[in-house]
Amino acid sequence: MKGFLEYVPGNSFLHRMNPVAKLAAALLIVITCFVTSSFALLIGILVLDLVLAARCGMLKQTLGLAKAVTAFSALLGVIALFTTPEGTQLVALPFGGYLGTGSILAAVRIVLRLVACAVPLFLVFYVTRLNDIANSLVKILHVPYKYAFTFMSTVRFIPLFMNDMAGIMEAQTARGVEFDGSLVKRLRLMVPLCVPLLVSSVRKTNSAAIAAEVRGFNLRTSASGFKEYPFASRDFAAMGACLVLLVGAVALALLGI
Amino acid sequence: MIQVSDLTFRYREGAEPVIRNISLQIPDGQFVGITGAAGCGKSTLTYAFNGIIPHCYPGDFYGSVLIDGLDTVDTSLTDLSRLVGSVCQDIDSQMVSSVVEDEILYGLENFGVPRDQVEQRIQSALDAMGIADLRDRAIASLSGGQKQKVAVASVIALEPKVLVLDEPTAELDPASSRAVFELLARYSRERGVTVIVVEQKIALLSEFADRLLIVDQGQIKFDAPPAQVLEHSQELLEIGVNCPRSTSLSVLLRQRGLYDGPVCRTVDQAVARCLEVIA
Repeated sequence: MKGFLEYVPGNSFLHRMNPVAKLAAALLIVITCFVTSSFALLIGILVLDLVLAARCGMLKQTLGLAKAVTAFSALLGVIALFTTPEGTQLVALPFGGYLGTGSILAAVRIVLRLVACAVPLFLVFYVTRLNDIANSLVKILHVPYKYAFTFMSTVRFIPLFMNDMAGIMEAQTARGVEFDGSLVKRLRLMVPLCVPLLVSSVRKTNSAAIAAEVRGFNLRTSASGFKEYPFASRDFAAMGACLVLLVGAVALALLGI
Repeated sequence: MIQVSDLTFRYREGAEPVIRNISLQIPDGQFVGITGAAGCGKSTLTYAFNGIIPHCYPGDFYGSVLIDGLDTVDTSLTDLSRLVGSVCQDIDSQMVSSVVEDEILYGLENFGVPRDQVEQRIQSALDAMGIADLRDRAIASLSGGQKQKVAVASVIALEPKVLVLDEPTAELDPASSRAVFELLARYSRERGVTVIVVEQKIALLSEFADRLLIVDQGQIKFDAPPAQVLEHSQELLEIGVNCPRSTSLSVLLRQRGLYDGPVCRTVDQAVARCLEVIA
């Protein structure tokens, strides 16, 4: 994996799935994660995520993502810890309420839920070419090409803009600006750099729009795509399994589990 | 055939016209090099060929540009694109896909090239640029030179009658620059495609172009085969255009009374002339 959302080639089950089916299955898993409060189900989904990642040859990268999401969701977990007074009281809080066993479970559940739902989306975007995602959305779901192209361009431009920003920062560093230090200090130094970044971004976006137009962008219809994206039995099987998972989660939620 | 008559253009935000009273004709299949000092209007001139002005950059447009009889003002940019393929200066901005094959496929899909021709067009464009092995590579993983070749391949796959390139070797080392020019010259020769290249590397233009246009302050200062243009090396220097070193060497030999032939355009020619002088 070299860059942001850069396609990782392979021949795994996930690689071979239809892009729309992949997205649908991933979204069903995401919804399941938010519907359920069951630890067993969340852990089950997490295990499924890791198995899929291993099959795609992306276990290491997925663990890296899980670590990053854990760090981010830990903040939300801490908030839940102090704002969810549930279960047996362990510590009384000075500002009212208490920290209980239920608070700890709520915090852990948030972390598990966010990690379990982030991984499928992460995998889908890395094992599917951006063009295939965009073209299949246009062909199968009849999403207007303009929107699909906008999505594709946005993702493609992120690393370019990051490179531009790095270049501007290097130029400033060469002139004596010190970007070391606290986050606040770094942010304060970076704010003025947003102006040249914005100027170069607008210029690049304009060039990209012209380049697309001179290659027939305005002639594009939903039938223009050369590649076909037929659904195979594995796509129906995967979506069906994810649907069953969601129905199970809803049933457990209704039963209060 | 490209016919430019009394072309003057001023960008909306500009005070003065960037190009002024330009008239020229470019027959089919010619390899034309355009050069000049920075800001002289050479890129704007190429925008006139591919219709980017006045369609994308508004301003005051006087005169006319006809591409195969189509007036670029009256014809939509999309229709012009069927005749004129363009490769712009900023290659990263030009890429619309993440994989080489998809990049070449993009234009073919948009212009509705019949399905049974698509594979042959992709392969032919990749072969023409010598990048068949890059077909499945992620564009982000390519070098500047490889991206340049992909950009050219994605345009020639559309089989335009005219190819307009704005500084196609700006990010390339000398060897890669030369390779791109060799490919363009061969492509022009084999397919009868008109190639118009804006370039700062005058040595390459002198070697490969059939005709050299020197632009100075929005006007064409010289318009002739490279050998004739290089005869004016002193005037070129005065307007900010350096001559190839082989040309400077032959001019020096002339000044010393050691040589009285035409100026040299290539290193090989310069070596041959020097050997003659020594002999």
